[in-house]
Amino acid sequence: MLTALLTLLSHYRRHPGQLALLLLGLWVAGALWSGVQAINASARDSYARAEALFTTGLDRLERRDGKPLARADFVSLRRQGLAVSPLLEGTLVTALGERLTVIGIDPLTLPGDSAFATAGSPSASHPGELTAFFTPPWQTRLAPDTTPRLGLERQAAPGAEPALADGQRLPPLVLSPALPPDTLVVDIAVAARLLERGTTLSRLVTAAGELESAPAGYRLTRADTRVDPGELTASFHLNLTAMALLALIVGLFIVQAALGLALEQRLGLLRTLRALGVPGRTLVALLALELALLGLIGALAGIASGAWLASALLPDVAATLQSLYGAAVGVQLRLPWHYWLGGLGVTLGGLFVAGSGILWRAARLGVLGLGQAQAWRAGFQRQLRGQAIAGSLAALLALAVWTWLAAQPAGEGLVAGFVMIATMMLACALWLSPLLAAGLSGLGRLARPHPLTQWALADLQLQLPRLSLAMMALLIALSANLGVGSMVGGFRLTFLDWLDQRLTADLYLRPPVGQFDSVQEWLAARDEIAELLPTADGESTLLEVQDAAGRRTLQVPVSLFGITPGERLTPTWPLLETRAGREAAWTALEAGEAFINEQLALGQGIAPGERLVLRSPGGQERVTVAAIYPDYGNPRGEVLLATAALRERFAAAPGSLGIVLADTGTPGSRRAEALSRALDERFALGRDALRDQREVKALSTEIFERTFAITRALNALTLAVAALALLASLLAQARERRRRLAPLWALGVTRARLAGIQLAQLGGVSLLTGLAAVPLGIAITVCLVAVINVAAFGWRLPLHVFPAEIGLTLATAIGVALLAAGLPALTLWRTPPRTLLAEEEAT
Amino acid sequence: MLEFRQVTKAYATPQGPLEVLAGVDLTLAAGESLALMGESGSGKSTLLHLAAGLDLPDRGQVRVAGLAISSLGEAGRARLRRETLGLVFQQFHLVPSLSVRDNLRLQARLAGREDSAWTAELLERLGLTGLTKRYPEQLSGGQQQRLAIGRALAPRPALLLADEPTGNLDEGSADEVLELLLALVRDTGCALLMVTHSPRVAAPLDRCLHLTHGHLGQFRATRTPTP
Repeated sequence: MLTALLTLLSHYRRHPGQLALLLLGLWVAGALWSGVQAINASARDSYARAEALFTTGLDRLERRDGKPLARADFVSLRRQGLAVSPLLEGTLVTALGERLTVIGIDPLTLPGDSAFATAGSPSASHPGELTAFFTPPWQTRLAPDTTPRLGLERQAAPGAEPALADGQRLPPLVLSPALPPDTLVVDIAVAARLLERGTTLSRLVTAAGELESAPAGYRLTRADTRVDPGELTASFHLNLTAMALLALIVGLFIVQAALGLALEQRLGLLRTLRALGVPGRTLVALLALELALLGLIGALAGIASGAWLASALLPDVAATLQSLYGAAVGVQLRLPWHYWLGGLGVTLGGLFVAGSGILWRAARLGVLGLGQAQAWRAGFQRQLRGQAIAGSLAALLALAVWTWLAAQPAGEGLVAGFVMIATMMLACALWLSPLLAAGLSGLGRLARPHPLTQWALADLQLQLPRLSLAMMALLIALSANLGVGSMVGGFRLTFLDWLDQRLTADLYLRPPVGQFDSVQEWLAARDEIAELLPTADGESTLLEVQDAAGRRTLQVPVSLFGITPGERLTPTWPLLETRAGREAAWTALEAGEAFINEQLALGQGIAPGERLVLRSPGGQERVTVAAIYPDYGNPRGEVLLATAALRERFAAAPGSLGIVLADTGTPGSRRAEALSRALDERFALGRDALRDQREVKALSTEIFERTFAITRALNALTLAVAALALLASLLAQARERRRRLAPLWALGVTRARLAGIQLAQLGGVSLLTGLAAVPLGIAITVCLVAVINVAAFGWRLPLHVFPAEIGLTLATAIGVALLAAGLPALTLWRTPPRTLLAEEEAT
Repeated sequence: MLEFRQVTKAYATPQGPLEVLAGVDLTLAAGESLALMGESGSGKSTLLHLAAGLDLPDRGQVRVAGLAISSLGEAGRARLRRETLGLVFQQFHLVPSLSVRDNLRLQARLAGREDSAWTAELLERLGLTGLTKRYPEQLSGGQQQRLAIGRALAPRPALLLADEPTGNLDEGSADEVLELLLALVRDTGCALLMVTHSPRVAAPLDRCLHLTHGHLGQFRATRTPTP
């Protein structure tokens, strides 16, 4: 049956544009999907390596007095018989100006089951190598994907001794694939020399659970109170995956449109082949084979481009994850084998889903019906009915999921939320064609007195079978764009307001822990300072929640944060819910009660008035919740107390100092400069220790913008794919359209007018699609802010609808349509009239 | 070669079933040529479709080369068309994406019976030798129909079914194509069933049959079958 297959494929030789569109659809769909999967795979790999490193699985000891740890602490604890191990951590600048984390360890005391001992190092199998690690010339262990940061090729790295910015050289490099990216692991003696730290230590660690309680004078932080990066970033990756899935679906719309057209144009060929004795089943099998061949080419190209796209986007994603979650992600792609196979599977699977309808219809057509395009299109009416029914079923499913979600506690049902959005979009996409068909038919009746308008509407109805898929793709892309755009816009507005409310001091300073109190005292005595807002932070575990109904025992790690209520902070600090009013809440905070963030309230179902039992150095502390406050961007639950109370009851370390300047008539910047100079002279804090409020806000805003850069990029790409789908549909039927327009030209309608009609037809139908996308987009925004966001991040956003965003959506719909219709219209306008008629005669 | 026994065929219409063929009996011997005439809608094309196994009778039996069409499955009927029949259509139905040469060889290759000497002879006799690299749309109507005839005869079928083969051609081209068709049919020894409107086209054939509202009317022998 090779002859029949080659005959079928020969169609594309005569219509290379159609083949290009088909491959383009597959390529774009595959590229976006696998690009995001590549980013996710690389990030997961980085998390897994970071998680496997000793820094996350071990308990930590810090000095209770806030002073830095020193070698003497290690010696003293070891003499007490405690199995602690020293760590020295810092940042080195390479000769290329790249910043890398360096961790100095003592391999002999480091707990034996840590990742470094078991996976990161070959020491377990070769004991000699362990000796090489901590004896001259020492070793620098690093992951292979870190070598480019040192300006070295992977092959050239082992044994190399690259120079640092300060002229020092690293010990010979040894590759350890299990280490996280951008991290160098050296012996602690080497780290002390490279970082010029003398005898200070960053941390003392012990095996998890090794110590029952903290030794006197030290604070113990359990490994299980730290959240691993993979857990924190899961929702970020889920959002990315959802966007990529959307792009894949829109891409597959192009594929289905191109496939449908390629088959429709080959109906005659199919009939001829059947007449020449090729069995129907064989033809369907051959079409499936054709699909597989094209799919393989398109998918492989898509996956390869996806890897390229991912490597281009990864640095931005890595920066976002670092700033949002503190999760280090390598900027070099590390793709496991299943990435390639998975990408191929999803793209080919999607292709067969898109193509199965076409194959099914081709298989069902009788041999005598094959040659008649009418037989093919008669199926469209049935298809419209089917779509309306399927759309109703999808809407019912969305309603069922919504009912289920409404019965769940807040913060539950992330996947169900996505299912609800997907079914809503599917329902609207399926309803679109029947609604457009009904609308056009109604308008056609109204336009009876205007023959040309009536013709244009009737003609549009004839085009609908071919345009409907592209319009569905456009609807999905537009509504997703509007939904996500409104969500991001609303989030931005809320976030900026929230920053304004929280960052109330003019200047911020983070003095070293040891100097904090003396700096505070010195600042308080100065005339130019109106108010000081010291903060403190710590860690604890929420052990119990007591309410009127009884008590619930928990084990939830929480952050503790201390603020200083005062004239500047109290009026602006946002509160979502209070026990007895805003004023009473602040009085309660000053009296020792607590506020909790929305994440903790929603996650654990805690309301104002309930009492929390928190682990403290002295055993347990009980606080009453006076209010709940919004805390955007924080992945963890947080308990807020007055700074003084927090430091006293939880031995929390001091954090930053907010400085409110007195109004002396001198410009703020000059006062800040003078203060900075005075601070540096008195405490040697460095000229840049004092940070302007605007600087902090700008940094936060930048982090915010970067977080949504990827979402916006994917969204725009999805819209571009939808525009491509529309262009594909129009270009594919351009020639046939010209034939249909020829008689009108012969009847005296100018080509310019015909081209104008074409533009108006498509612009109009796209505007209708855009109008349909508006309520769907708003519904998507509601789902995103009320369900997805709460489940993914733990906070709820107020719903914002932006008329400008809606206007932009409608303008985009028309713009995309005019852009897509422009080329065929221009071709028509340029075609000599005689050619139009010759094309008509040739049919 | 072809036998219809009390064949009835009706189509569903909004006004109720429309009987197109009503108890048709017909026999066509090997090497014999038969013209089937009738008004539009008289059932000529339906009869041809039944003979080609493109459709099945409601009642009665259609046998081609001794095989009952109704007893064959879809694959069997496809095989019959591929190996035993040749079809020529009024609209040519050439494959636009294949060159003249590839179109001509298509059915022979599908049947696994390509004979390059015969292909070359056909190209020459059909006057297409210099046009082998062209595509159907680059040919005149007469050339396209000659190509369609060549495609049908390339596997040397036992029965050629032609549906208005000259219906789309001007008079000069029609005569030329018909002459060529009959000469090739004679030389290959295949039987021919041709649907036509034109008595002039029907005249050179062995027999002519009139179909009126689904009933076969009188027929006349025009000449003795050529073995």
